[in-house]
Amino acid sequence: MRTPAEPESFRLVIPSQTRYLNLVTGMAKRASIVAGMDDATSAKVSIAVDEAVTNVIVHAYSGEADHQVDIELRFMPAALEVHICHNGRAIRENEVVLPDPREYIKHPRKGGLGLLLMSRFMDEIRFIETGEGSECCMIKRVV
Amino acid sequence: MADLLIQVHEVGGVAVLRPEGFINAHTVRQFEGALEALVHEGKYTILLDCGLLNYISSAGLGAIMGLIETVRENGGDIMLCNLQKNVFEIFDTLGFTQLYRVFATEGEALQRLNGTI
Repeated sequence: MRTPAEPESFRLVIPSQTRYLNLVTGMAKRASIVAGMDDATSAKVSIAVDEAVTNVIVHAYSGEADHQVDIELRFMPAALEVHICHNGRAIRENEVVLPDPREYIKHPRKGGLGLLLMSRFMDEIRFIETGEGSECCMIKRVV
Repeated sequence: MADLLIQVHEVGGVAVLRPEGFINAHTVRQFEGALEALVHEGKYTILLDCGLLNYISSAGLGAIMGLIETVRENGGDIMLCNLQKNVFEIFDTLGFTQLYRVFATEGEALQRLNGTI
């Protein structure tokens, strides 16, 4: 049972397969609306979650389909927190390099856009290594 | 309903590709395949009608980016129309609205392109 100090939350654990992305993004979008966000903001949250879960499936697990991705949404007093946990290869914050959109336009190339979308659409992003695995924590404040 | 349905038709030398649903890491191969098929057929002027597109992730943007040089080198282009607000924001956030011509409707795009093809 949840103690009064703990935020309301729920979890979804999916196999590391892209066919479940729609399920997760649909859940994130609905959760954003429940948290008090408008349609446009909830769409941004769902895209950021799509990108973060895709990163785990494609990069952390190298596309291997037999792992798990644990997605938890926490309803904080003025924000929605999304915690995406896995046991694959960790992304370290010092490895994250966001492409400069102005340079990107001058020299178009494939890739590197997912993290940029996540950083533009969410208010905070942290990559955390825990004793049990790795976590991407994203926060969107309700304004 | 499938995550992504793609219809293609041609109007006066413009290949109009109309994706319906979601373009993400799961459906991107289907989207990329449809674009590549047009290029292999020598159809280098491509209009993406996004009116029924719910969202496009970076995987889909990468698919477009991967072909833009080829179509432009062959005298064509990839253009966008009918962008829903959230889809426009994705393109705009990444600066793609400066890279690609964006039209309000398919009709406007075809009318403007009519004189250039």
